[in-house]
Amino acid sequence: MKSFARDLYKNRIWLLMVLPGTIWLLLFSYLPMFGQVLAFKKFRIDPDGFFASVMNSEWVGFDNFKYLFSTNDAWIITRNTLVYNIIFIVVGLIAAVATAILLSELINKRLSKVYQTSILFPHFISWVIGSYFVFTFLSTENGLLNHVLAWFHVDPVSWYSESKYWPFILVFMSLWKGVGYGSIVYLASIVGIDRTYYEAAMIDGASKWKQIKHVTLPMLKPLMIILTIMNIGRIFNSDFGLFYQVPRDSGALYSVTNVIDTFVYRGLMNLGDIGMSTAAGLYQSAVGFILVIITNYIVRKIDEESALF
Amino acid sequence: MKKKLGILLALVLSIGTILSACSSKEDSAAEKSGKNGQPYEIKWYTVGTPQKDTDKVFAEVNKYLKKKINATVKMTQIDWGDWAQKSQVMINSGEPFDIIFTNGTDYVQNAQKGAFYAIDDMLNNEGKALKQTIDPALLEGIKIDGKTYGVPTNKEAARQSVYTFNKRLVDKYHFDITKVKTLEDLEPMLKVIKEKEPKITPMATFKAYLPFDYIFNGEMPFGIPFEGDRDHVVNPFATDVAMQTYKTMHSYYKAGYLKEDAATSKDSWPMDVENWFVRMGDSQPYADLLWSRSAKYDVVSVPAEQPVTINDSVSGSIQAISATSKNPKKAMEFLTLLNTDEYLRNLVDKGIEGVHYKKNSDGTIEDLPARIDRYNLPTYSLGNHFILYLYKNDPKDKWEKFKEFNESATAAPTLGFHFNSDPVRSELAAITNISKEFYPALATGSVDPESYLPKFNKKLKEAGLDKVLKEIQKQFDDWKKTQK
Amino acid sequence: MPKLEQNQPTVTMPSSLEGMKGGGIKKRRKKYRDPQALPPVVNTIVSVLLGILAITCIFPFIYVIIISFTSEESIVRNGFQLIPKEWSLDAYHYLWSMKEQLFRSYGVTIFITIVGTIISVFMITFYAYAISRPQFKYRKFFTFLAFFTMLFSGGLVPTYIVITQFLHLKDTIWALILPLSMNAFYIIIMRTFFLKSVSESILESARIDGASELRIFFQIIFPLSLPGIATIALFSTLGYWNDWFTALLYIDNPNLVPLQSLLMKIEANLEFMRQNMDIANMQSSLFNTIPQESAKMAMVVIATLPIAVSYPFFQKYFISGLTIGGVKE
Repeated sequence: MKSFARDLYKNRIWLLMVLPGTIWLLLFSYLPMFGQVLAFKKFRIDPDGFFASVMNSEWVGFDNFKYLFSTNDAWIITRNTLVYNIIFIVVGLIAAVATAILLSELINKRLSKVYQTSILFPHFISWVIGSYFVFTFLSTENGLLNHVLAWFHVDPVSWYSESKYWPFILVFMSLWKGVGYGSIVYLASIVGIDRTYYEAAMIDGASKWKQIKHVTLPMLKPLMIILTIMNIGRIFNSDFGLFYQVPRDSGALYSVTNVIDTFVYRGLMNLGDIGMSTAAGLYQSAVGFILVIITNYIVRKIDEESALF
Repeated sequence: MKKKLGILLALVLSIGTILSACSSKEDSAAEKSGKNGQPYEIKWYTVGTPQKDTDKVFAEVNKYLKKKINATVKMTQIDWGDWAQKSQVMINSGEPFDIIFTNGTDYVQNAQKGAFYAIDDMLNNEGKALKQTIDPALLEGIKIDGKTYGVPTNKEAARQSVYTFNKRLVDKYHFDITKVKTLEDLEPMLKVIKEKEPKITPMATFKAYLPFDYIFNGEMPFGIPFEGDRDHVVNPFATDVAMQTYKTMHSYYKAGYLKEDAATSKDSWPMDVENWFVRMGDSQPYADLLWSRSAKYDVVSVPAEQPVTINDSVSGSIQAISATSKNPKKAMEFLTLLNTDEYLRNLVDKGIEGVHYKKNSDGTIEDLPARIDRYNLPTYSLGNHFILYLYKNDPKDKWEKFKEFNESATAAPTLGFHFNSDPVRSELAAITNISKEFYPALATGSVDPESYLPKFNKKLKEAGLDKVLKEIQKQFDDWKKTQK
Repeated sequence: MPKLEQNQPTVTMPSSLEGMKGGGIKKRRKKYRDPQALPPVVNTIVSVLLGILAITCIFPFIYVIIISFTSEESIVRNGFQLIPKEWSLDAYHYLWSMKEQLFRSYGVTIFITIVGTIISVFMITFYAYAISRPQFKYRKFFTFLAFFTMLFSGGLVPTYIVITQFLHLKDTIWALILPLSMNAFYIIIMRTFFLKSVSESILESARIDGASELRIFFQIIFPLSLPGIATIALFSTLGYWNDWFTALLYIDNPNLVPLQSLLMKIEANLEFMRQNMDIANMQSSLFNTIPQESAKMAMVVIATLPIAVSYPFFQKYFISGLTIGGVKE
């Protein structure tokens, strides 16, 4: 005990540094976490407030989770969520890193700045408005794409009922919205790389490509790994607007657009059951948590430095 | 090591607790009122865009209320689009307030969860006058397991779906719309419009009407037919009438009477843009007059069904007392006054005389600009319509016609029956997803029902349709026993 | 090796130490090509590629601007078009008519963005720095403490209760600032930056000179980590500027509604009208005051432009080579 107190004292400066953040985390993140117990309860409201409601609600075990697994659709939504997220993680990573490297290599710095500002724009456009935009292209009657097809004497496509095109559309839209934001952090990291590495490489006669391969990418590796681990943690979650607004909630597309988040949203519309929605969130988090622990373990085995913890 | 971390955590946790304790002292201010003869402040949340003159009007309201029931009201409006989410969080979190607006399935779910205060006893005491004023069908229809959980707005209690036509086009081509009874009867007219009026979409997108009393809503596969066997709940999508109707709709769609993107359309077809020939909507007495007024050209309607009192139409607008209310009696006194006192009802709804509206010599009123700009409240959500002042251009017998309309309506089989979905929650979550997948396309005619309806029904069955139907039937039978 | 001063424009000597940034313009004037730069052909290809990407990204925004100048009637009749049949300034007239609210909302947004960003940059960098130092015995615990909150959140209702009933923040400006001021994601990113760009050897020499940890933090770490800090600051600026949900939950008072929340209200109200056409058509006066699609797009324009053009301000700190090379092993 005494040695513990001494340890605390020895670390006081660091503890002081994490204190404000820790208080915040406890208040805004950990304190509300008790609400997760609702996933195992049938929520009833008690006049004495929320705590009383939680306490007095009846335990129902895993009943609230059942709907996530019980039907044929359950398989489809799980598959969709996983496959889309894996694609998003891989393609998103490549796109963000590539964009960041290209932007940093552009000779005309002013042009590079204009580009950087431009690719950030989609981040500000909500999916509702993004869906209007997609609609001007894909609308059956007035859509630009169908006009273009007509020029080439191709029959118009009813885009919102043909599911085969949507995986591509969704991946494209996800990239469109995310690439600017995603590349910033890599860009900041690239400019932080010590110039001397490049000089050394150049003296060795390394080409530009070799420099990127042997200096830039290895320097970005820790960040790439960390961001990927964090994305894996959210592999069961998805961007609701992308999967709900952009396909305009078209039933014909559900087989390729229904993910866990949209399934839960639609399914609970008539029920308004807070226990079931908490259960869905807990399920998503738990899977993500397990995957992160596994990934982190593997990373640590290969390269201790890069692991998250 | 682990132990030390535990101690550390405890240390930090306690700091957090101390911090939160520091800031939770000031609760008492709100509670103090109401005691020692001070007027109790009623916290009232209702729907609509917050208005600039709310404080001004409620200063008047409170002056009156202090005198009458020794209370004041703090009304907070929550904007239309925010309402659903925000009110739900407030209710679930057990926030203390007194009165809240609610309707439809939200009302049923929240009442079943215990969010509202049952007012049956108070209706015989504080709310005696209220009970006498409100249409008994309304009070009966919103009962859940025999208890009343809110004050319904006294207005039209029934629903009547109508086909509404653009009168200019009806006159132009001399259509006889009085003959229209069913969806099929529209065909000859739609054909003419399609050929001769290229700028007009013959049908404003709507979902085809099926004559069922729905347990949830039109897209969920549970209903009791209005005609025929009114004792058994069935899947409407498995009936011949559904197949027939959707076939007709599909033939209209193929003929180009509807927009091609009808199934996913988000067009709201505002009345004031004249780009449609026929649409479907819910009527009330003098609805055509209101619609024509907002459209700025004439419209005319024919009924698609006889007026019928259904659960949805009686629970369209309810002011409920929260289970967390610190003084439900005062809240009840206020609601009673709001629904029976002409001065208060009009003050809350129309604002201050001379500022927001002016009174004509014949007792009718006209809005002043300030009513539109600074105090524009949604009449339907607030309370009893029948004591509202009439506008200058309103028909004199407007409220009488409302009462006649309500009396002429027949009660739907499930009026007053509210299904408790707890035993079949998982099935319902899956079924809702399936309905959302198929219903919009079928009901707008976008797909061929010959192949789609069977697929729909098959998926419903796999998701446990029969189990849910059985559960509904069981609860429905039990409920009926208590009704006699 | 000499200390690099990248952002001093006075450096005229073409030096191989000059990185890819800075000084470029001067060099080109002298027809000197930096050996580290891309070959001209590749550079052109890259410029065109990135140009296409930039246009793809900016194009929707131009489209939003076009819709904001389209007449409402034209939208209802013909849908959204890239070249509308009927132009109109109505949307901006509408915005002008609500200028009081707009200016107030601008004020709220700017205030919470600035104050919030300052608070969160300090909280995050302190936290991230501490957990990036090997001397800190409990760094793994605190890393995990932060990381865990990324995956498991409290959920809407419990958070609402903590903020309204424990902290009593409802209807105060702090309800818009505090809930967003920490973010585990940013902490972890920042930690990675610190791990990579701040080597222990620099700190050792400072410690030997007797500098306290706090002084080291402000005088050495802060300038060293500027690109990282600028990134976090940018992210949290964007986060505060774009946030509308906290306002939806915690703000009733129209004087405290931020800009994005105003925009989302319009969006949500339009959606409500669509779903409740009956109410809309019966009580037309009620919804006449609710803005329509074009007004919404005009709102997007005025809510997005100021923040989008603020990016170069942060970018200024994305400067390279501040690492003190001499100390690095």
